[in-house]
Amino acid sequence: LVTVLPVLSIVTWAPFVAALVIMAWARRRPLLVRWAAAAGAAVPLGLSVWLYFAYDRSAAGFQFRESMSLVPSFGISYNLGIDGMGLVLVLLTAIILFAGVFASWTVKTRGQEFYALLLLLVTGVFGVFVSLDLFVFFLFYEIAVLPMYLLIGIWGSSGEVRPQGIFGWAFSRTGVGTKEYAAMKLTLYLLLGSAFILVGILALYTAAGSTSFSFLDLQQVRFSPRLQCWVFLAFYIGFGILAGIWPLHTWSPDGHASAPTAVSMLHAGVLMKLGAYGVVRLGLGLVPGGAVEWAWLVGAIACINIVYGALSAMAQTDLKYVVAYSSVSHMGIVMLGIATLTEQGLNGAVFQMVAHGIMTGLFFALVGLVYEKAHSRAIFTMGGFAQMMPGIATAFAVGGFSSLGLPATAGFVAEFLTFVGAWGSAHPWWLFPGVIGAFLTSIYVLRVVRQIFWGPKSADPHFQDLPDAQGPEWVALVVLVCILVLFGLVPWLIVEPIDSATVPLLMRMGLM
Amino acid sequence: MLEIALGVLIVIVLVLGLFRPAVPDRRAGWVSLIGLVGLSAWSFDLQPGGSLFGGTFVVDSLALFAQRLFLVSAAVSVLATLGLPSERFARRGAEYHVALLASLLGMLVLAAARELVLLFVAFELMSIPLYFLTGFQKRDDVASEGALKFFLVGTVSSAVLLYGFSFIFGVTGTTMMSAIPAALASGQVLAKLGLVLVLAGVGFKIAAVPFHMWVPDSYVAAATPFVAWLSVAPKAAGFIVVFRLYLEGAGGAGALWVPVVSAMAGLTIVAGNLMAIPQVNVKRLLAYSGIAHIGYMLMGVAAMSANGAGMVLFYLVAYLFGNMGAFLVVQAVGTGHGSDQMDGYRGLSQRSPVLALSMLVFLLSLGGIPFVAGFWAKLFIFQAIINQHMYGLALLGAVLTVVALYYYLVLASRMYIDPPEKPEPVALAVPLLIAILFCAAGVVVMGVYPEPWVKAALQATAGLF
Repeated sequence: LVTVLPVLSIVTWAPFVAALVIMAWARRRPLLVRWAAAAGAAVPLGLSVWLYFAYDRSAAGFQFRESMSLVPSFGISYNLGIDGMGLVLVLLTAIILFAGVFASWTVKTRGQEFYALLLLLVTGVFGVFVSLDLFVFFLFYEIAVLPMYLLIGIWGSSGEVRPQGIFGWAFSRTGVGTKEYAAMKLTLYLLLGSAFILVGILALYTAAGSTSFSFLDLQQVRFSPRLQCWVFLAFYIGFGILAGIWPLHTWSPDGHASAPTAVSMLHAGVLMKLGAYGVVRLGLGLVPGGAVEWAWLVGAIACINIVYGALSAMAQTDLKYVVAYSSVSHMGIVMLGIATLTEQGLNGAVFQMVAHGIMTGLFFALVGLVYEKAHSRAIFTMGGFAQMMPGIATAFAVGGFSSLGLPATAGFVAEFLTFVGAWGSAHPWWLFPGVIGAFLTSIYVLRVVRQIFWGPKSADPHFQDLPDAQGPEWVALVVLVCILVLFGLVPWLIVEPIDSATVPLLMRMGLM
Repeated sequence: MLEIALGVLIVIVLVLGLFRPAVPDRRAGWVSLIGLVGLSAWSFDLQPGGSLFGGTFVVDSLALFAQRLFLVSAAVSVLATLGLPSERFARRGAEYHVALLASLLGMLVLAAARELVLLFVAFELMSIPLYFLTGFQKRDDVASEGALKFFLVGTVSSAVLLYGFSFIFGVTGTTMMSAIPAALASGQVLAKLGLVLVLAGVGFKIAAVPFHMWVPDSYVAAATPFVAWLSVAPKAAGFIVVFRLYLEGAGGAGALWVPVVSAMAGLTIVAGNLMAIPQVNVKRLLAYSGIAHIGYMLMGVAAMSANGAGMVLFYLVAYLFGNMGAFLVVQAVGTGHGSDQMDGYRGLSQRSPVLALSMLVFLLSLGGIPFVAGFWAKLFIFQAIINQHMYGLALLGAVLTVVALYYYLVLASRMYIDPPEKPEPVALAVPLLIAILFCAAGVVVMGVYPEPWVKAALQATAGLF
């Protein structure tokens, strides 16, 4: 039965349908809103697990194809399909969405609109991962970006730790750290990125004769080297903004720290991957000449990302900012893996997308829980929480170990593959910033874990008798922790499908 | 034919004004509305063709497309005017509508004019009532100031335009437009000079930078439903003039104008968007954002191709719905709040969900977000100029849409994120609501299904090349 259904369309549109149901029928019935959202998240999760097992790895290529002409005169069609890379990212999105719905079970104000916007956003994310038509891809991309403005602006939280230091007055004048500032900054940065992407897509479309937006058609065209260089740069900047490349990353800490829990989980966990996915799919896939030409730049900036992000994370005193800056650092590893243009490096990059997605989703869920119990995000006021909330403390520690790349967690596999790839690439020195970044990560992660959970117990009267995670909140923690360890112990579960996508890609680029 | 029928309508409204009943007088408005709706419906039934006075007046498909645009926008404006608080039009409703219809008549003639003298007469017939309408509230200092500014700038621009025409006449020896391409092709310097002057004159009318100074002040001065029309129809008329003089039959000689028009387009987009950022009055904000939109349309002209020109027409239609709709919401909110300041929009989503959602749709369209009309308009313009390998200009335009989205989003956040100052719902006149919903429907339909509109626009400009 499942084989005749348009599975990818169902995965993509199920959250959208749930959003419509929530807006239409769930007015003033908060529990119905939550269950509808859970259903809208469970359907894609179930189907993407099925997809994972049904995907034929030996055949590779794009499978589960669906095709329907939309605007024939411009060559726009609704054309879906996934390869191994899309497969694992769809799975990741479904997992994070499922966990995110449960992690934000306690949203109080305007819950109906919150869940509707969240599900709408996820439709955009799924759409980007499965669409094979660049125009539809772009439309989904915009759907994934825009709801964020309202999600952060309405349900976000302004930072507790006020800006200080020599530029403190300038920061407080511009409103740095407030949710309004963060929402606007994030939206404008990402739309700036989409402007670059749109121009790049249109340039390829016209250069190929203005007949088709299909990825598969454009892949057959050999564009001139000059055009490839410029278009790759446009894609790299456009998608790179979303992937948090230095120095265009500054929206990410502000945005992720201000966003509500589920939105931070989705945005840091999945949307940043959308940027890296775009660089691989469109950048490496359509303009390989440009990718080879600019690899030195992508790699060098990735090295800056890794070290700079880690150093920034060390300097933070707000827990959510630590996690947010660690994302900047970890996305650097993804971009480094892409820049190596080797099989191990690319596999490591995609593996890191998944590992970091799960890990950062877990972190933001935990920060949200800690904040909800203790009403604080200031690291150095908290202490000794492990006695009161052992579950949260354990989960945080596991996430931290993955973050610093401890063997037996997913983070280790990802970093190991990437570093092997970097060593084998044209620029072996990339290995050293990567390793330094991993070292710095262990410093800031362990420091935070020790201070908050295992340090001396805080004497503050607000931090006494705090409860552990309860009810639905456990769902998010258990699911994410188990997956993190599972992928660390049995990495080939993920590496195998990824490899079926990266090897043909590199072969087409003439690099294997 | 349309022109004669409109002339009859003007006479009817004028005579109606002689018999004054007790205030408020809405008869003139209703009669004009019914007449305009009828004329609009009729215009969609007409076929292009027909030429009068030895080819000085030719209704081709471009002229017909423009005439439909003028008629529909005028009908929307008159409909919204019926929702104005009545004391504004106490006793003087007929004057207002006669002036508006006379200006509309000028536009209809202008769209079909093929001869410079007729073009100039039509241009003035369009412009002079606009000055009068801007200063309609004659006891209001702001209105007088705005109208005077508009009048001074407008007459100077007309003079420049006429001066340019005189050079062209001197070179070609005829006032027919069809002689211009040949004069340009033969490399006549005076012909170029004449056309540069004409471009400056038209630049004032369409409010391209650096000829845009009059726009914000006149917009603030005038009644909002009229501003909605002023921001669209005369601009469209200006672009028709540009098409006729610079594109029609130009062939290879058109390449001469590419650098000039590209520079003007880039400058207009940058300046318009940057000046819109600090505005706190929504009318001024829309005025500056409108200037930026003119820049995008000029970008389409700079492509100097049938595709580019067609997409300018598509852009104009999208702009008609989006910009008129936004101004009509300003009218609705401003009536309740007493001013057009942005603070009046706080918490609008709770005070009036319909108005807030319509405004959001209009802003998204103006900002160029997918699934509403403005996205396709910008996309097609970019595609047209990328086709001419002008990647830099396309990138500039695309990046500045982000700047535009900043100020549109600030307004959206007032409506959706901030809490309302006072909780009571916004009072909304029924005609105004209908006009707003009409515009919103236009924006959404064009956004979801743009193909027929694109085809119509391309067909209208196919004859230019």
